[in-house]
Amino acid sequence: MATVAAAASSARPPWWRDLRVIRVVAQVVAAVVVGAALYVLWFNLTNNLRAQGIRTDFEFLDQPIGVNIAGSDIGSGASVRRALLVGLKNTAALGAVGLPILTVVGVLIGIARLSSNWIVSKLAAAYVELFRNLPPLLIIVFAFRAVVLRLPPAREAATPFDAFIVSNLSISVPGFRAQDGFETFWLLMAVALAVAVAVWVWRTRVFVSTGAPHRRVLWSVGLILVVAVVGYLAIGRPIGVTLPTLEGRAIRGGFTGFSSFFAVMGGLALYTASHVAEIVRGSIQAIPRGQGEAANALALSGFQRMRHVILPQATRIAIPPTINQYLNYVKNTSLAIAVGFADFVVIAFQAIGNGQPAPQLILLVMAGYLFFSLIISLVVNVLNRRLQLVTR
Amino acid sequence: MTATTAQRRSAPVVVSSPITWARTHLFRTWWDSLLTIVFGALAAWAMVALVRFVATADLTILRVNLANFMVGRLPRDQMWRPALSMVLVMAAIGFIGGVASASARAAATEAGLPFRVTRPVEILRRQWPLLATIAAVLALTRSIGPTVAVVSGLAAASVAYLLARRSPPVVRKWAWLIALTMFVAAYLALTVAGGVGWNGWGGIHLNLFITAAGILLAFPIGLLLALGRRSSLPAVRWLSVTYIELIRGVPLITLLLLGIFAIGYFLPAGLAPGAVARVLTAITLFEAAYIAEVVRGGLQAVPAGQREASQALGMTPWKTMRRIILPQALRATIPAMVGQFISLYKDTTLVSLVGLFDVLTVSGAANSQPDFLAQGFEVVTLPFVALLFWVGSYSMSREARRLERRLGVGER
Amino acid sequence: MVSDEEGPVTETTVFADATQAKGDAIIEVEGVDKYFGDFQALHDINMRIGRQEVVVVIGPSGSGKSTLIRCVNRLEKHDRGRIVVDGIELSEDVRNIQEVRRETGMVFQQFNLFPHLTVLENVTLAPREVRHMAKADAEEIAMQMLTRVKIPEQARKYPGQLSGGQQQRVAIARALAMQPKVMLFDEPTSALDPEMIKEVLDVMVELAEGGMTMIVVTHEMGFARAVADRVVFMADGEIVEVGTPQHFFTEPREDRTKIFLSQIL
Repeated sequence: MATVAAAASSARPPWWRDLRVIRVVAQVVAAVVVGAALYVLWFNLTNNLRAQGIRTDFEFLDQPIGVNIAGSDIGSGASVRRALLVGLKNTAALGAVGLPILTVVGVLIGIARLSSNWIVSKLAAAYVELFRNLPPLLIIVFAFRAVVLRLPPAREAATPFDAFIVSNLSISVPGFRAQDGFETFWLLMAVALAVAVAVWVWRTRVFVSTGAPHRRVLWSVGLILVVAVVGYLAIGRPIGVTLPTLEGRAIRGGFTGFSSFFAVMGGLALYTASHVAEIVRGSIQAIPRGQGEAANALALSGFQRMRHVILPQATRIAIPPTINQYLNYVKNTSLAIAVGFADFVVIAFQAIGNGQPAPQLILLVMAGYLFFSLIISLVVNVLNRRLQLVTR
Repeated sequence: MTATTAQRRSAPVVVSSPITWARTHLFRTWWDSLLTIVFGALAAWAMVALVRFVATADLTILRVNLANFMVGRLPRDQMWRPALSMVLVMAAIGFIGGVASASARAAATEAGLPFRVTRPVEILRRQWPLLATIAAVLALTRSIGPTVAVVSGLAAASVAYLLARRSPPVVRKWAWLIALTMFVAAYLALTVAGGVGWNGWGGIHLNLFITAAGILLAFPIGLLLALGRRSSLPAVRWLSVTYIELIRGVPLITLLLLGIFAIGYFLPAGLAPGAVARVLTAITLFEAAYIAEVVRGGLQAVPAGQREASQALGMTPWKTMRRIILPQALRATIPAMVGQFISLYKDTTLVSLVGLFDVLTVSGAANSQPDFLAQGFEVVTLPFVALLFWVGSYSMSREARRLERRLGVGER
Repeated sequence: MVSDEEGPVTETTVFADATQAKGDAIIEVEGVDKYFGDFQALHDINMRIGRQEVVVVIGPSGSGKSTLIRCVNRLEKHDRGRIVVDGIELSEDVRNIQEVRRETGMVFQQFNLFPHLTVLENVTLAPREVRHMAKADAEEIAMQMLTRVKIPEQARKYPGQLSGGQQQRVAIARALAMQPKVMLFDEPTSALDPEMIKEVLDVMVELAEGGMTMIVVTHEMGFARAVADRVVFMADGEIVEVGTPQHFFTEPREDRTKIFLSQIL
């Protein structure tokens, strides 16, 4: 009866056919090959650096940078470390200003693309097709050379409306300044915000229990606005406006930014917005037609259809690629090197030009961007998991 | 109403005229009308300004520097080389187009769908921006040579396309090798027998070369990385993921800077590659990570049952990958690969920042010439350069979208 | 199927458990456990399948029946116990695994035909690549198999051009072209439209009557009644009851069996 042949091995197979052994060996081989390659590179690197008398450590960070960084108080005597931090701050500024702008512009244009008005949708399409197919570097260089550099030089800056100062070096806009009673106003607004939240919750409860329209946006935002206006007048103008004024070479008052900053930020925002617009359009169009039909069949209004059915689903689809575009924007800010705006990469570049060791500096810069990228990637992954539709 | 004699009536005729069209598309509500007026005025003003600019612009800087924009500082007596190279490349592109058309027909037959063959004339009509740009550039030339070269190139492309479309499946199987040979021949036409090595190339030619070479060299590496990322061996997977995420997290400029400044330190002393080689290395390493992600997407599109069926038949993992998985996966990646090609094409502008003499650098150099210095001709040269990139990117993405539809890869 | 040399199988013959095979055992499953993470999909499975025997495995979804046959050709790896196919034990030995896969043919619920190859190429691929047959020989065998499943005229077409029933028959031909000793069927008709189920079942009945050893996971009770030598009922990863079709459908013993049968019959 027993047909188990004697040849059948319940013992271990020879190692070269044993799956478990093969797997381990393959991994060891891969690790050894890569490790050897990295070791060779490392060996060459340290040898060559030593031969040329360049240090292989990171002590250069405390050395003086040797160049003046335009537009900041980093003189040539400041340490490389300080200069790099300033660069990092400038890169962050590009992000902080550019990301909100490009989001708003991108979403608007994406929605405009689907408008029933022929001119609006065609214009939006033209915008997207124009910017999407251009290299971002070209847009930035054009914004700088053909626009910014044509502005008057600093000493003869233009002053439109007597409220702005515009030159090829910097652009100044009116700014805000805290005056007497500002702390009181702040406190008042904080209280108003807390009350507004309470009102929001209250109106929502009313809606849940009675079904009456909650109009909670109207109530809460209205409350905040009313308090703001009344408080502002009652306290006697706690926030003042400062207009920038030219005094010799310096500018007093207002907010000032480098013109090159605006060239980079503006050009990149317009470019990235075109990609975001495509994402928004694609997300709305990706929702099955049946969803809208079901909403209509339930007698939901157009606005309700958007708010409860279309937009929630579209947002879920749109968020991961949009955050990817944010990542691209941050990486593309390194193109500031083309217009001389002192961001993170540019400072490193200038330091290298002044004799600081290149490999370490470049690796430092890469680590910096990598840090931002990994954080954004993490956010995307977490969001992705949480946004997944629940399925069986 | 009795059903016996009810006659069928034809559908009511809707008279549509420009007025009714405008009523629905432009002036449906008061808000609609407002938008139409405001944006219509804006668009009209922009168009008028643009036309006026193009009509009155002084294009001398372009005319004088056209050869520089195209091929940089290549010796002018060697101009027949890039011309020959261009004809070969255009033939190769026509060949690839024909093979793609034949593959699309095969795919349609596989799926039981109808298929309509395209005539070359239709392709030319679809690509009118590209042709218009070529015509405009030729209008700037001062001799007949370039026009002859372009016309021969178009003829070669058409012939290659028609031949490739009718080719037997064996040609299709080796199409990648044939195309590769043609590209290598184009390269040799420039360098062999007293030609100019790539360190002497410049202008848009350099950009195109870096794009093509970058993708070609990065593809095998990207493929290995994608397979490694899906491997069941943890060490291999970890290595692949680390490389891909590292490279995708940094801007291209940092890798270019690394290439220019630091590559020398990583090589044994005495080996000093030229600037183009360094840049090409950096770009290859960069693109490999992105291509790996594209291929990964294609691999994920192949149903799991394919691997199981192949294994159940007793096929080894290697054979399964080669005969079953990869053919299906790679076909699914074609549109995304074209997208990556376009991306790289636009990114090659960055090489101007590290000292290569590409078309953007030429623009700067032309504006520094004594005849044109400080006269604000950037508004002429930069849009010209922008046009060269825009038209390439737009044309390729249109073809990619069309290919996507015809290959039936599905909407995403 | 029933072989007259061994005497007719009467209605009172009951197989007490799955370890008694008809005739020579070609597949032996001993004490097999299988886990997916913490979840135990197979619990102490003991089974013997004899040559030319047709075993039909039924049970609710999640009972482990698919997992079981997928362990037989190592599409899933069993965590404990022994599986021996035609004298070859399934282990970590690569060569053993390949041999077992050569001797077993599998038909999937989703067909899993290779869409980029013609029907003929689908069927000849493995004989050429795995058994190293010459192209002409492989095509001859392929056409024989396609004739056997009654669609020789579709040889040059692509899977996408065929109906579901035709595709599944091609899948059967593809598995048969390797001339396996055992055929494994994983719910072969569950993905088919009702009007195409019969054509596939007819092919399977012919195969059974021709003497092929078959393990069939299915819900088609008519098929079980017609050709099965044994019916195995699985639930929650265990073998609950085994019997001849007659015994099974007229007087099942276990309560779980009775409940399941009342839901599907």
